[in-house]
Amino acid sequence: MRIEIDRRPIWLIIILRSFRPIFFLTIGLIFFYLINLPTPDGLTIQGQRAIALFTVCLILWVTGMLPLAITSLLAIVTVPLLGILDKKETYALFGNEAVFFILGAFILSGAVMHSGLSGRIALAIMNRFGGTPKGLLASIFLLASALSFFMSEHAVAAMLFPIVLDIAKGLNLRPGRSNYAKSLFLALAWGCIIGGVATFLGGARVPLAVGMLKEATGITIDFLEYTVIVFPTVVMLLVIGYLGLTRFFPPDIEDMHLAKTVFERKMKEMGKIGYLEYAVGAVMAATILFWLFFGRSLGIANIAIVSVVGLFILKLVRWKDIEEYVNWGIILMYGGAITLGAAMEKSGAAAWMANAAIGNGISSPLVVIAIFSLLTILLTEGMSNAAVIAILLPVGIGMASRFNMEPRLITYAIAVPAGLAFCFPMSTPANAIAVSSGYITTKDMAKAGIVMMILAWLVFNLTARFYWPIIGIRL
Amino acid sequence: MKQTKTYLHNPGYLKIDLMLKGIRVDKEVLKKANMDKCRNLFDVACGIDVILPHNTWVTVPYIEDFTKDSPYELMERDGRFFITHGDESVQVSVVPTPEFYTLKTTTGIQLSRIGLVHGGYVAITPATQCDFFNKAIECRYCAGNLDIYSNKGRVYSVEDVLETVEAAYKEGKAEIVYISIGFSDTPDGGIEFLKPYIQAIKKHFNTLVAVEALPPKENRWVDETYAVGADSVLYNLEIFNPKLFDEICPGRATLIGRERYLDALRYATTIFPNGTVASHLIVGLEPIESTMSGIDYFTNIGVVPILPIYRPSLGAKLSQYKMPATKDIAPLYGHLYRAVTANKINTTWVRDISIVTTPLEGRFFVGDEARMKTWMQNFYKSRLGLKAAWSLATLRRKLKVKVGESSAHRDK
Ligand code: SF4
Repeated sequence: MRIEIDRRPIWLIIILRSFRPIFFLTIGLIFFYLINLPTPDGLTIQGQRAIALFTVCLILWVTGMLPLAITSLLAIVTVPLLGILDKKETYALFGNEAVFFILGAFILSGAVMHSGLSGRIALAIMNRFGGTPKGLLASIFLLASALSFFMSEHAVAAMLFPIVLDIAKGLNLRPGRSNYAKSLFLALAWGCIIGGVATFLGGARVPLAVGMLKEATGITIDFLEYTVIVFPTVVMLLVIGYLGLTRFFPPDIEDMHLAKTVFERKMKEMGKIGYLEYAVGAVMAATILFWLFFGRSLGIANIAIVSVVGLFILKLVRWKDIEEYVNWGIILMYGGAITLGAAMEKSGAAAWMANAAIGNGISSPLVVIAIFSLLTILLTEGMSNAAVIAILLPVGIGMASRFNMEPRLITYAIAVPAGLAFCFPMSTPANAIAVSSGYITTKDMAKAGIVMMILAWLVFNLTARFYWPIIGIRL
Repeated sequence: MKQTKTYLHNPGYLKIDLMLKGIRVDKEVLKKANMDKCRNLFDVACGIDVILPHNTWVTVPYIEDFTKDSPYELMERDGRFFITHGDESVQVSVVPTPEFYTLKTTTGIQLSRIGLVHGGYVAITPATQCDFFNKAIECRYCAGNLDIYSNKGRVYSVEDVLETVEAAYKEGKAEIVYISIGFSDTPDGGIEFLKPYIQAIKKHFNTLVAVEALPPKENRWVDETYAVGADSVLYNLEIFNPKLFDEICPGRATLIGRERYLDALRYATTIFPNGTVASHLIVGLEPIESTMSGIDYFTNIGVVPILPIYRPSLGAKLSQYKMPATKDIAPLYGHLYRAVTANKINTTWVRDISIVTTPLEGRFFVGDEARMKTWMQNFYKSRLGLKAAWSLATLRRKLKVKVGESSAHRDK
C-alpha cells in the first residue's frame, strides 16, 4: 500500500473535493429547470423531457464525472421514469442487435488474441518485410491497420505494443530522442486508428451508430455497404499517414539486423503453429465471410453469436480466458446510448433540436456533412468516441429528417470521423499506449496529429463529394 | 495578578517551583485527597496531581527525600485543599489517583504499568524496551524509568493496551492518548510497531492520539504516522546544542543524528496540523541561551517546543547534575510564549500537561491574559469541543490521506 499525504492547504482540498457534490447538484438543478420550462412550440412534453435528460447525459459524457456506462444506465432508467417511452419499449432497446454484435465481436477477437494467432501473424509479417527501416515502419503501420479491420483497434494496439517496444529496445533507440522510435510508435497508433474505421469490427462505435440509426429510423447499414463507402477514405489516409510518418520523423537508423534478432527470438518462443490457432483462424475467417455476404439476410449479431457458440462447442476457448476481453462497460454504454438516441428521435426532440440549432440556414447536405464531421473530429480528440456518437447522432438524425436528407449520410459523417482521433493520448487508447512507451511525447503526437486530423477531415469530405455519388449515393 | 514575595499567586511560576521543590503532605491529607493508594503501586512514579488556579495542571513530587525541605505544604480545610507557603495560601484542587490504576487486565497486568495519567493525557507505553542501555549509549539523564532492566523486552498486547485505554476513557482520563516507544532500531522510527495499537485505539474510541516516536529514516514513515491515525507527533531532540546533544544523548546522536531530528520535524509540520508537531528540550541540561535558540528554531519551522525540567534521577549518569532554580529558567517560558505567538502556532493541542509547562502557560510569565487562546483551549476541553476536535481531525485525515497501490503492485 502506498500512502500519500495531500500537502496542499486544507481549504484548497475542501474546495476541490466539494466540486463533485456541487457539480451534481448543479446538474440536478439544470435538469429540474429544463423540465419545468414552458414547453416550446413544436415540441411535445416527452420531447422536452428527452432534451433535459439528453443535456444531463451530454454533460456527464463530456466531463466523464461518471463512468460512461453508468451515465448510460442512468439514461435507461430515466427514460421510462419520465414517461418518454414506456418501460417495455425502453428495456427492449437495450437488446439491440448492435449490442449483441459488439458482445460477439469482443469474444471473437478475444479468442483470436488468446490463441496467439494474431501475434504470430504480426511477427511473421514484420519479420518478412522489416529488413529496412522504412519496410519495418510500413509493415507495423499496415499491419496495425489491417488487423484493426478485423479486431478492436484497442486490442490490436495492446497486442502489438510489446513487440514494437522490444524492437525499439533491441535497436537501442533512445526514448524521446530517436526519430525512428517516434515513427514506429506513431505508426502503431495511427495504423490502429485508420484501420479501426474501415469495418464494423475496428471499434464498437460503428455498430453503435448503426444501432442508433436503426432504432430511430428503421434504416440499416450492413457490413459490406459500410466498408465499401469508407474504404477509399481509409486507403487515402494510409497513404497520407505513411508519407506523414516518414516526413515528420525521417528515419535516423540504417542497420536493422538487431530488429531481426528480436523477431527470431520471439518466433522461437512461440513455437510452431498449433491446432488451436488454425481452428480459431478458420472460425474467424468464416465469420467475416458470413458478415460480408450474408450480413443483411442473417443479421450480423446472429452471425457473431453463432460463431461464439461455435468456439465454445469446439472447446477452442474457455469463458475464463475470454472474460478479460469483454468490455462490459462499453456494452452498457452502448445500450444506454441507443436507448437515449431512440428516445430523442421518437419523442420528436431530435428533429426539434436540429431545427432550433440550424433552422433553415443550410440547404446543402454537403455542408451538413462538413459541419457534423468537423464537430465530430474535434470532439473526439477530447472525449470518448462513443460518447461523441451518442451526443451528435440523435441531433444529426433529426437534422436529416428536417432537410429530407438520407439519414445514413449523417451516420457516416459522424461514425467515421469519431474514430479519427490522432492528436492526444486521451483521445483514444491506441495513442495512450504509444505515449506510455516513453519513446514519443505528447507534444510530438499532437504536432503530427493536428496535421493528420485536418487532412483526415478533408479526405473524408472529398470522398463524400466525389466518391459517394459514383457508388450511387444520392447527396 | 497579585504581587507577593511567594510564587503562590502566579500559576506559571508556582507550577515550576512545585515541580522543582515538591510539596509536603500529611498522611491524613493524602487520604482525604484519595491519593494514598498511590503508594501501594510500586511502579508508578507517583506525584500528586494538583490543579492550580487558571486550570493549570501540575504533578508535584511528594515522596522523594528532597520534598521534605519544600516550603510548600498541601493542607485541607472543610474538604477544600490549599497550598501554603509561610502564611500565604492558594486554593487548589487535587486530582485523585485514577481508579483504574488498581485494576488489572484480563491477562493479569496492572493497568498502571501500561498507562499513566498526566493531566488530560493517558500516556501509554506498549513496550518497555530501550536498546541504548545494552550498547551503553543511553541518554545520560535517563535512569531507565521505562522499567528497562526488570522487564526487558516486555511488550504489552494490543488487547492489554485497549483495556487500559478503555478503563481510562470510562473515567474520563483519556481526552488524548499519548502513545510512545523507547528506542527502536528500525528505519520507520517505531511507527510500524505502534501502528496496530494506534489503529485499535482509533477504531474503538473517539479520542485523539499523540505519538512519541523516533525520527524515521525516510519521510514516508512520517506520512504513515499521520495516515494510521496519529493526530500529533513528537520527535524529542531533548538537547539543542549540537555538542551537548552528542555528549548527553550519544545513542540518539550516533544512530539517528541531530540533522535527521530537525529534518523529520520540519517535514512533519507539512503533514500534521498546526500546533501538533512537538519536540522536547530539557531545561537545565544546557545553557539557557541554547534552549532559547532551540525555541526560536523550532517555532520558526512550526514545531511546538515542550520544555520539561531536568530533575536528577537516581541511577542516571547525570544524577549529580544541579537542578535549575525557578527564577533562572522562568524567562525561558515567557520566551516560549512569545515565540509561539509570533509564529502563529496553535496552542490548543499541547495543553493540560501536568509534568511540563505548556506554551500557553507561558502567558503567566509575560502578563498576557491571552483571552482568546484560553477560551479556545477551554472550548476544546469541553465535551462539545472534544467532539469537534476529534471530528475535525478525522475529517482532515480523510481529506489528506490518499491510499494507493504500491508501485511494485502496479507493475505486476
Ligand atoms: S531513549 Fe533515552 S530517554 Fe528514552 S529510554 Fe532510552 S535512554 Fe532513556
